[in-house]
Amino acid sequence: MRDDKPGAKYGRDEWAQWGVALVVFAAVPLLGKKHFVNMGNEILVMGLFAMGFNLLYGVTGMLSFGQAAYYGVGAYTVGLLLSKGVAPFWVALPATMAVGGALALVLGPLCIRLSGVYFTMLTLAFAEMVWGIVFKWYDFTGGDNGIQGIPMPEALHSPLRYYYFTLAVVFVSFWLIRRIVDSPFGAVLQSIRENPERTGFIGVKVRRYQLAAMVLSGVFAALAGGLFAGYQHSIHPDMLHWTKSGEVILMSILGGVSSFFGPLMGAGIIVFIEDMIGKYTEFWEIWIGGIMLAIVIFFPRGLIGTFDTWITRWRNHGKHAETAARP
Amino acid sequence: MRKEGRKRQVMLAIGLVLVLGLAEAAQAAEKIVIGAMYPMTGRAGRYGIDSVSAAEIAMNEINAKGGVNGRMIDIIFNDSKANPAYSIKVAKRYITEDKVNFLMGVVSSAVGLAVTEVSKENKVIFVGTDHASTALTTEKFQPYYFRVSNNTYQSAAAAALYAKDIKPWKKYYVIGPDYEYGHRTWEDFWMLLGRQRKDVQLVGQAWPKLFEPDYTPYITAILSAKPDVLVTTFWGGDTVAFIKQALPYKLFDKMKFYNYDGGGNYELLEAMPTGLPKGLVLSARHHLNWPDTKQNKEFVAKFKAQTGRYPSYAAEGAYAGVYFIAEGVRQAGTAEDPDKLVAVMEKIKFKLPEDPEGFMSYMRPIDHQIVQVQAIGETVPDKSFPPATMMLGNWKIFKAEEIIPSVAEIEAARKAVKK
Repeated sequence: MRDDKPGAKYGRDEWAQWGVALVVFAAVPLLGKKHFVNMGNEILVMGLFAMGFNLLYGVTGMLSFGQAAYYGVGAYTVGLLLSKGVAPFWVALPATMAVGGALALVLGPLCIRLSGVYFTMLTLAFAEMVWGIVFKWYDFTGGDNGIQGIPMPEALHSPLRYYYFTLAVVFVSFWLIRRIVDSPFGAVLQSIRENPERTGFIGVKVRRYQLAAMVLSGVFAALAGGLFAGYQHSIHPDMLHWTKSGEVILMSILGGVSSFFGPLMGAGIIVFIEDMIGKYTEFWEIWIGGIMLAIVIFFPRGLIGTFDTWITRWRNHGKHAETAARP
Repeated sequence: MRKEGRKRQVMLAIGLVLVLGLAEAAQAAEKIVIGAMYPMTGRAGRYGIDSVSAAEIAMNEINAKGGVNGRMIDIIFNDSKANPAYSIKVAKRYITEDKVNFLMGVVSSAVGLAVTEVSKENKVIFVGTDHASTALTTEKFQPYYFRVSNNTYQSAAAAALYAKDIKPWKKYYVIGPDYEYGHRTWEDFWMLLGRQRKDVQLVGQAWPKLFEPDYTPYITAILSAKPDVLVTTFWGGDTVAFIKQALPYKLFDKMKFYNYDGGGNYELLEAMPTGLPKGLVLSARHHLNWPDTKQNKEFVAKFKAQTGRYPSYAAEGAYAGVYFIAEGVRQAGTAEDPDKLVAVMEKIKFKLPEDPEGFMSYMRPIDHQIVQVQAIGETVPDKSFPPATMMLGNWKIFKAEEIIPSVAEIEAARKAVKK
């Protein structure tokens, strides 16, 4: 197994990445710009969504094109519970994880019956069904108008406080994801990615593990959705649309699915690009397309993945030189 | 030596940037900044691009006359992507980063509902120019929101008055896009018509999804139901697609076609230079050839001269939005005090291209909804706005006060939500 897969034990580099990520995000508000706090918040939320997705794709090798369903359901859990006054935010946010997991338990068994592109198509189909229900059920979800003015608790009213709250929740989730990937359970998931048949031969119930991966991924996606609802105070069925599922795939590939922080990096880049390019031109689509093209051609393993390769190559180069110098 | 020279150049460049930056900052403090959001891509792109051009025309007109109270207007544009989450992000950036005095724009009602929330939280006035959902001025109303174009209720009320007098229209069929706009535009009309005519009957309804590519199954169903009139609540490309697909079935010979909110947009007339049937009953929020006033003619001519195309109806809404803001700032004497601005803006009365002789659009304090005249016409051969070969004519005009919900109705709607 290549040692750059997410299952690799912590190298010095990854500890450095944790440190850099934490320091950078914790320092964002010190720049004194409210806009950066908003952007940082969005990057964290999308980063969590992407990292959860990567548990399924990068780690277990299942390309789901329907993660937006879990993300959206998480957002609607917070939106509905709060706007109907059923539960406070502190209850609603953890509830998103239960709802996201439960949805994955329902849809998962139906999707994992097939593999490869058929699995992908099924996840897309079911996600579109969930989207359709949210879009049309006016009496309950507000239909295409969505829900606005979600009442947040006083303690989280200021964007700054909410930012640090998000930061804490997201980094605890990252840590959990890391623990999952490193555990024996995570090793099985990676073995499924490498070769599902062989994994089956050694007595592993592959589908059960695949379902578990879907549930975990759904839990984190829903949590990200819940955090987003709390951040924007408005939610909308677009959050469940297939384009959102596509976006999270894009982010993960952009940053690199084989490196732990790749998806977070991808999320950061996409959010940043959308913001910057939208500001200067209405032709943002061509820019995003061009950047994607460049990345696929020049950074085939995602940004972090490719940088890792460069660093390794550079180090090995030095070693080879050393050995060569010996008599 | 060369190095020294380079150093000096760099220093000079830095100095220049600093000076220019400071100068710009000083100027920016003087300007009235409007943060505008319009969809510039996708199916609603035409509405957005026309809005942007018209807003720029209004801005240049005002600035050419010395601005407002000596302050120039500056508009920043950003694609809304017709996406609520993205638009919220842009609106927040406008407020925190660009320090805009006003938010303006938005074609989609869902985006409007999302942005009005940002406006309320930050106390930044939001001027809606082309989204029609009545909810924004009734149930979801907040004091920092104003709308300078008609809402669906106004179109529907005018449409009901129009239909009331046509005795042969008894059997109705409705087809529209399956989302709130499509349904609400119809339901308001049907409710209001029902109050005035007891002999009308709904023989069928169909709700294809928005941007549906194939209407054939619906068309055959409509034909077999044999209605007197077909109401559609399509807009934009959907209207065009439906008409094109219904033509081979001779649908328009067998029944009247009635689209009273967005159907009469120039976008349709322009898209079908050949084949557009005569006698379709249509309306829109602004018309190129009505009213026949100097102001309207000048607006249309100017737009054509600057962009090379005729404006779709959204353009006039954005034009009105900029003038509305300018008038508010002029009367309030400030662009920084939202509460003072609201107090004067809710009483603004001003003349717009779409106002006929002897009438001025005005804001209503109870719902911050502009009150305007509505005109419904029929397609008639007219080649004065090429490439269109049909324009609207045989106008029927509905007085502004007859087509707005009463204060009591608005209060009742708001109360019902609170419960």
